[in-house]
Amino acid sequence: MDFQAALGLGLPLGIGIAAIGSGIGLGLIGQGAMQAIGRQPEATDKIQLAMIIVAALAEALTIYAFVTMFLLSSKIGG
Amino acid sequence: MGAIAALMIATYSGPMPGLAAVLGIAWSLTNFALLQQLVVAITGTDRKSRPAVKRAAFAAAGMFLLFAIGGVLLVLLPPVWMLAGFLVPFAVLVLKAASVLLLESRAWQWMVASPWRAAVIVLSVVVAAWWVVPALIERPATAQEHASPHATQADTTPPVTEHDAAATTQHGSAPTTEHGAAPAGDHAAAEGKGHASEGPQKFANVITVLSRAFPNAEWAHFLHHYEAVIFSWLVGLLIILVAFIASRRPQMIPGKLQNLVETLVEGLYNFIAGIIGERHAARFVPFLGTLGIYIWCMNLFGLIPFMDSPTSSLNVTFALAIVVFLYAQWIGIRGLGLGGYIDHLMGQPRNLTGWLLVPLMLPIHILGELAKPISLSCRLFGNVFGEDMLLVAFVSLGVSTLAWSNLPIGLPLQLPFLVLALLTGTLQAMVFMVLSTIYILLMLPHEAHGHEGEAHHAH
Repeated sequence: MDFQAALGLGLPLGIGIAAIGSGIGLGLIGQGAMQAIGRQPEATDKIQLAMIIVAALAEALTIYAFVTMFLLSSKIGG
Repeated sequence: MGAIAALMIATYSGPMPGLAAVLGIAWSLTNFALLQQLVVAITGTDRKSRPAVKRAAFAAAGMFLLFAIGGVLLVLLPPVWMLAGFLVPFAVLVLKAASVLLLESRAWQWMVASPWRAAVIVLSVVVAAWWVVPALIERPATAQEHASPHATQADTTPPVTEHDAAATTQHGSAPTTEHGAAPAGDHAAAEGKGHASEGPQKFANVITVLSRAFPNAEWAHFLHHYEAVIFSWLVGLLIILVAFIASRRPQMIPGKLQNLVETLVEGLYNFIAGIIGERHAARFVPFLGTLGIYIWCMNLFGLIPFMDSPTSSLNVTFALAIVVFLYAQWIGIRGLGLGGYIDHLMGQPRNLTGWLLVPLMLPIHILGELAKPISLSCRLFGNVFGEDMLLVAFVSLGVSTLAWSNLPIGLPLQLPFLVLALLTGTLQAMVFMVLSTIYILLMLPHEAHGHEGEAHHAH
């Protein structure tokens, strides 16, 4: 397997795997936040803020994979 | 509308036709305005009065001047495009009159009496247009020389230099062929043109248009090279302008703009104060709020046609993140003192275990600090750039689904993603702002901000 074939196989797979991970993470974050809001509806603002921050952190991992894909995808068709 | 049409023309057939069309439209509009002045002044009720005579004289002189300018322009610029621009307001007038007539006619009322009838008629008109328009487009395209007969296919559009050369030569020899050669699928063609250059392509913006129009000019290269910088300056200037206008004459009962800006600023202030504590808010809100608004505007700037998001360039986001990083470090050093800062980096060792862990903690903390700007910038860049790419992909998909019809249209598949882009743009600006706030908060001396946060949230 040469370098380009490896990239062509690996980049989409990498994004997919990263997306699985951050999808699970986002699901857990959302679940926790929803439960917290259900228990304490008066703290909704605070919980939502924290949720968005943590969700951004979890989402960032997929974005890194995405950026890596874009940086390397120009090397495929060379 | 005229400006957008002219930009389209400039994209596909060079800058001079676009300029000519713009000037033609402007000329025609001015002509109308002056004509109206003249007619009103001559036939109005107070036509004998002094100001009316004066106005009539002014209008007449203006028209003479206008005709002179028109003559000069006709010599200098491509006349066909100028004429096209000149005719646009007339077309608008005619359409308006026709629609007014149509709306009052019996047939129209019969048609809209039942929605089904109207739907059937609209459908039949659409189908008729489908059959007729390709036939109309095909004829001139086949009649002319086969310079670029396959330009109508989005995926076979030749690379930039060839196509531009073809377009200019065609335009020079017979400008009317432009109509036939205008490729199906504007956006896809715009992307297809750029396939010669490396990397994934974004939508064409003003600077791409300019640098494509003048492929050899030094200044066009300069503009293209510093595209992101120019757009971010533009956004900054716009924000300054709006803020200046809104705060120029503050009133007790605010007008619309002042109201909007005040709501935004107050909301941001309360938001940041809720995180960082009321005590520090006045010190940091100017920096953080500006950052948030600036990034927000830059994210959304790419959604305007022929504009580009500066934040879809890694350089811009990295610059912003470096600013935040340096500012946070500076706050840390100034608030804690140099010794306290290093102490903070070492994990505040107070006993033997703490000091034993210093060789481990110090690199971890330093790496953590260095990772912050990288993650900030990559997150923003990835989101905005990814959103742009998504839009491009869906536009080209929508165009290629309708490419067989040879019409210059595409399915608007990107519409839901435009809404999504609005959402992510706002959200990412907020995330950037919140994370910067937290980085700064972590660098502040650790006494009692939690308490203040509680007090603030109690309201």
